[in-house]
Amino acid sequence: MNAPLRLPSPRGTFRVWQRNMTIFRKYWKTILFPNFVEPLLFLAALGLGLGAFIREGGVQGMTYVQFIAPGLLASNAMFAASFESTFNTFVKLKIDRIYDAIVTTPVNAEDVVAGEYLWAGTRAALYGTGFLAVLVVLGFTLSPEAPLISSFWALLIPPMLLVIGVMFSVMGTLFTSLIQRIDLYAYYFTLIVTPLFLFSGIFFPVDNFPAPAPQIAWFTPLYHAVNVCRELAAGPSPAVLVDIAWIVVFTLILALLPIRFMRRRLIS
Amino acid sequence: MSAEQTQDHGARESTIVARDLRKTYGEFQAVKGVDFEVYRGECFGFLGPNGAGKTSTMRMIYGAAVPTGGELRVAGLDVTRYERNVKRRIGVVPQENNLDDDLEVMENLLVYGRYFDLPKKLILQRAEELLDFVQLTDKAGSEVEQLSGGMKRRLLIARALINAPEIVVLDEPTTGLDPQARHLVWERLRELAKEGTTLILTTHYMEEAEQLCDRLVIMEGGRIISQGSPEQLIEEHVSPQVLEFRSRDGSLEKLREIAEAEADAVERSGESLLAYTSDADELLEKVRRSGVEAENTVYRQAGLEDVFLRLTGRSLTD
Repeated sequence: MNAPLRLPSPRGTFRVWQRNMTIFRKYWKTILFPNFVEPLLFLAALGLGLGAFIREGGVQGMTYVQFIAPGLLASNAMFAASFESTFNTFVKLKIDRIYDAIVTTPVNAEDVVAGEYLWAGTRAALYGTGFLAVLVVLGFTLSPEAPLISSFWALLIPPMLLVIGVMFSVMGTLFTSLIQRIDLYAYYFTLIVTPLFLFSGIFFPVDNFPAPAPQIAWFTPLYHAVNVCRELAAGPSPAVLVDIAWIVVFTLILALLPIRFMRRRLIS
Repeated sequence: MSAEQTQDHGARESTIVARDLRKTYGEFQAVKGVDFEVYRGECFGFLGPNGAGKTSTMRMIYGAAVPTGGELRVAGLDVTRYERNVKRRIGVVPQENNLDDDLEVMENLLVYGRYFDLPKKLILQRAEELLDFVQLTDKAGSEVEQLSGGMKRRLLIARALINAPEIVVLDEPTTGLDPQARHLVWERLRELAKEGTTLILTTHYMEEAEQLCDRLVIMEGGRIISQGSPEQLIEEHVSPQVLEFRSRDGSLEKLREIAEAEADAVERSGESLLAYTSDADELLEKVRRSGVEAENTVYRQAGLEDVFLRLTGRSLTD
């Protein structure tokens, strides 16, 4: 069946976002806490623990903690948006049937999907902003001469985390729109999210690896998200524009697929 | 718009018109070309066994399914072209509970009202009235999970009314409710009908259809097999009086022979034999005289259940 592609309406998108925000405001303290602590654990274990073994000079002229901290901002956004668009969306779609109720109102299926994208991005940005604030304070307290965040360009990190969150939400929603059983997320996280987390240049620079490792990395989303956060944290070079453009183009191209698939699942 | 698009039928104005409406899922034809018309302000029922095409028809009315063919106008608007506008003007009570469990009772109405772009003040005012209408005022701050099945159904009804719809679509509104809860729902629905809201409902329960519906259609296998008011249908398809014979094994067949000779029509339903007649006393007398054993014979007036059995050869509840 080749139904015409329907684009989301801003109004309906906002209503779905607003529904999620209403719930978030009731439970934000309990929701935020784990997402907030997790990157700190990574920072402590790898940055301080493993970092102690990395000799003077560090990585690319940074201490190891300085190197990994902005990357963890990016991966944190990926995890936040991925959980939102997988487990949470699945529950709303198939268990609580929230979307079935919404699509009988003037809010259409395509608005539901777009609203969820925007919400996942918002959630990623909210987590990231809190984490960023901790990094700023922690960095200046621990070593004022080499802070974790050293540029005012870092103020652009929260809006970029929103965009990065939307990107990972689009990927997660695409997977959600194709599966029938919640157990299948194990595949998504093991085969997509975890490899991205490990091999996108958060813990070691991939650019210096022999071909084709850097070339492969260039085609993956988190690699660019890590670059953007790292550049903004330390003061960006023009190359950051390529990473941002990659993220925007990839997101826009992919965003229409889940809209189509989810509409097919909600409207028979 | 409305003057041109709604059709006038004598004095009564149609608010839903279906012409040769069809719905196909892959190879499966769920609705095979149905025609019906619902007048403004009436309660219109869809009856039929599971898989008859009732729910598919309902889903097309409220935009959760797209017609494969034919024409469907709701509130004067073509459902495929004016999806959002149609949805703006109707309320939906789904078969399965899909309340928002993360929200309290009042919040459910507030969030739902926002989907219609209603101002918050208006939503809160209506929500208060509606909670009163469905007798849930004291549950306004409760979690949805703590509500009983009957309360959840009433909240679904309140939610469906938040946009002050001109048409309310109810898919099996009382399935799974205890008799008390069911009567409370019926009472509220009658109240709505009295205020001029058009009600469309599907049901398995003959009693529900007889209690609520001004007119109804009986569906089977994706088609409408009969339509009219409950009284018309009964008059048209069955004799007014029914004798239900129950008996052990063999004698039911012997009874059948006698009944078939004497009654207007005979149906077998499970372990009982139904004989339709306009003179039950005479038929009963004849059975007695024949000497065939019949225990627990029940006499009653014919109802929709009998119409259904007559038309489809089976009872509605299976």
